[in-house]
Amino acid sequence: MSETPAAKPPEEPKGPGLCGQFLKDHGIATNRLPDSCGVETIEIDGAHLEAAMKLLRGSSEIKLDYLVAVSGVDSADTFDSVYQLWSYTNNNELIIKVRVKKTDVVEGQLPLVPSLSRFWSAANWHERETYDLVGIRYYGHPYLRRILNVWDWDGHPLRRDYKQLVDSLNDKAPGSFR
Amino acid sequence: MADSDVQGMNEVPDELKDTVTLTTLEKMIEAMGDLLSPVVSPIANAARSNSVWPLTFGTSCCAIEMMSVGMSKFDISRFGSEVFRATPRQADMIITAGTITRKMAPALITLYEQMPEPKYVIAMGACTVTGGMFNDSYSVVQGVDRVIPVDIYLPGCPPRPEGILDALLKLQQKIRTESYAERKKKKYRQNAVRQVDYDTGRPLEDLIDEARFETALALDPLKSLQEKA
Ligand code: SF4
Repeated sequence: MSETPAAKPPEEPKGPGLCGQFLKDHGIATNRLPDSCGVETIEIDGAHLEAAMKLLRGSSEIKLDYLVAVSGVDSADTFDSVYQLWSYTNNNELIIKVRVKKTDVVEGQLPLVPSLSRFWSAANWHERETYDLVGIRYYGHPYLRRILNVWDWDGHPLRRDYKQLVDSLNDKAPGSFR
Repeated sequence: MADSDVQGMNEVPDELKDTVTLTTLEKMIEAMGDLLSPVVSPIANAARSNSVWPLTFGTSCCAIEMMSVGMSKFDISRFGSEVFRATPRQADMIITAGTITRKMAPALITLYEQMPEPKYVIAMGACTVTGGMFNDSYSVVQGVDRVIPVDIYLPGCPPRPEGILDALLKLQQKIRTESYAERKKKKYRQNAVRQVDYDTGRPLEDLIDEARFETALALDPLKSLQEKA
């Protein structure tokens, strides 16, 4: 059997991209990450998220006016809140990540990220889902409640440290076929 | 099942005496019971087995096959089962077509409990037989037999419409071999295996145990902790 070659590490990007440069011109610092599937990816501080979104959405040259998805990632040492934006007029895409270091999260509390549900109502449910599954608290959200699981579910299932509860609905009961 | 349940079956509780009327025929059948059964059962069973009305219940992909079996190509009505009812109160049988999640389980139990007896369950698809490809998922009930009693297991992901017809034929066989009196005596389990709380999605027995323990803890902390240890 031939060995599969190890995946190449993603190329380090050279200099800020189109949107990164635009934000830099308007005084918002961003950090460019390796492109994801050829789409420009930037990291931004949570405090600047709302201002940056306002600029990207409102400016006539960038006009990223469609929020495709909000999702969350539990990385090794950060919690990432990931936004995917799309521009109909420019046929352009951008991925924004807000990273909260796990060491910065107060013990027993959830990582905090500002909510975008005031700009896009699409963000409302997506943020609820991310809160439900990854456990990122979006402050400023009008109704941050679990959306997929029942309301008093214990823990956040897509977290690395999530322990699945064992009860009569999923144990290895002798009477069951499992 | 406790003896008292079996004996108390035919008695109308005091508070319902005004509203419930037992017909003479029913009284007669009950009185004759085992004696009449050999005569009544084959007739009643032949009638019942050829008019098994399923409940319209589909929670995911298996439901597409269930719809297909209702259409003219496979045509479940050849077996007297075409009348998919939209309410559990008119249904005899439930085909659990699709994944049952923890959030859905209380609703399924309610539907099952609302169906009039005698009632039957076909667990359709790998998901409802064992959890299927959602094995060890955090949100999926690992086999619908954990919440309601199942008569026929129909594996496949999804099962072909012919499979559903086969399961239906097997169910009809089962109905034909039943005894009316036995069924009336509730010899088989006719209620949900376990109740699941609507709010939490957790089995009610767990919650009751927890509440009992907490009450005991409040009344006599030392003793109950010792017992638990
Ligand atoms: S058994 Fe397969 S087809 Fe049926 S509900 Fe499950 S995943 Fe879907």
